[in-house]
Amino acid sequence: MKHSLPPMAEIWVYLSGNPLFALVLTLSAYWLGVTLYERSQRNPIANPVLIAVLIVASVVGVLDIPYEKYFEGAQFVHFMLGTATVSLAIPIYKSWASLRGRFALLLLALLAGGVTSVAVALAMADLFDLNAALVGGLYAKSVTAPIAMGIAERIQVSPTLTAVYAVVTGVLGAVLGRFVMDAMGMRQWWQRGFALGVASHGIGTSRAFSVHPEAGTYASLGMGMHGVLGAVILPSVVNWLRS
Amino acid sequence: MIPGLVKLLLFQALGELVSNFVIPFIPGPVIGLVLLLTFLVIRNRLPSDIDTVGSTILQHLGLLFIPASVGVILYLPILKANAWAVLGTLCVSVVATIAVTGGLLKLIAGERDET
Repeated sequence: MKHSLPPMAEIWVYLSGNPLFALVLTLSAYWLGVTLYERSQRNPIANPVLIAVLIVASVVGVLDIPYEKYFEGAQFVHFMLGTATVSLAIPIYKSWASLRGRFALLLLALLAGGVTSVAVALAMADLFDLNAALVGGLYAKSVTAPIAMGIAERIQVSPTLTAVYAVVTGVLGAVLGRFVMDAMGMRQWWQRGFALGVASHGIGTSRAFSVHPEAGTYASLGMGMHGVLGAVILPSVVNWLRS
Repeated sequence: MIPGLVKLLLFQALGELVSNFVIPFIPGPVIGLVLLLTFLVIRNRLPSDIDTVGSTILQHLGLLFIPASVGVILYLPILKANAWAVLGTLCVSVVATIAVTGGLLKLIAGERDET
């Protein structure tokens, strides 16, 4: 006797309404992203997050699932962002020991870099005549994405745009950083690492670690310091710019 | 693993509380980060349970901002129309940031290798 299967449509309605679908989709897309990244010998262009976002966005788009519906299921992953932000204290603490009296200098370089990041981005947006709706995401884009999204909420700009700009900035910095620093004749690993961490946060940091451990340590320090300082200073700066 | 997770969540909760009632313009998790860092510096030791859980989460930091980034589909039409402007802006900005940050370090600290 033949079992009659429930119609595909019915299975689909059940699946797509279940948070498990968004969770499995997000995790497996990331898994695939990481696999491709490893296969490419950790080429920064094959960024796992970029790959995963492309996959998830295509699937969600093809299946015509509203973004809100997807996010409802994926929010379990999203929720961990806060815990991850708190965990950033760990790499900062670990690199604390290697500071050795360089703190003031690093702070100065970070401030200069942070100001440059925002000022140049706004100037370029003006020059390229960027659509006003897309400008808000630029303020926090050099800050590590979990903190950048928190800042975005505080200054009433889109956390999504901010996160996407942050990922793209990270990839661009990881790809271009080497050429910029070679051209400038920078040879010290700690200087190269710190600059990369300040400009392109987590993605720059993993790039720095893959080149040299000292560069990586200073990159995670740069990323952490930029995160904390950005959260403290950026909201006031943006308010001042808008007034 | 559980004790480490509980401790991290406690710092996060403490940060949210401070953010809600004392300094609303700083996101709670960032205050949690500063509190945890202060705790570690005072104790002058990194408890292995916090290290294990925290480092595992950080290793997959990228995974955590996928859900928010997928929201890019809501901006697709406007982003497509501005693709080159966005890429150009981000490109010039990140190159300038690296050049200024690194250049300043090189200028002041020079080629001295103190390590």
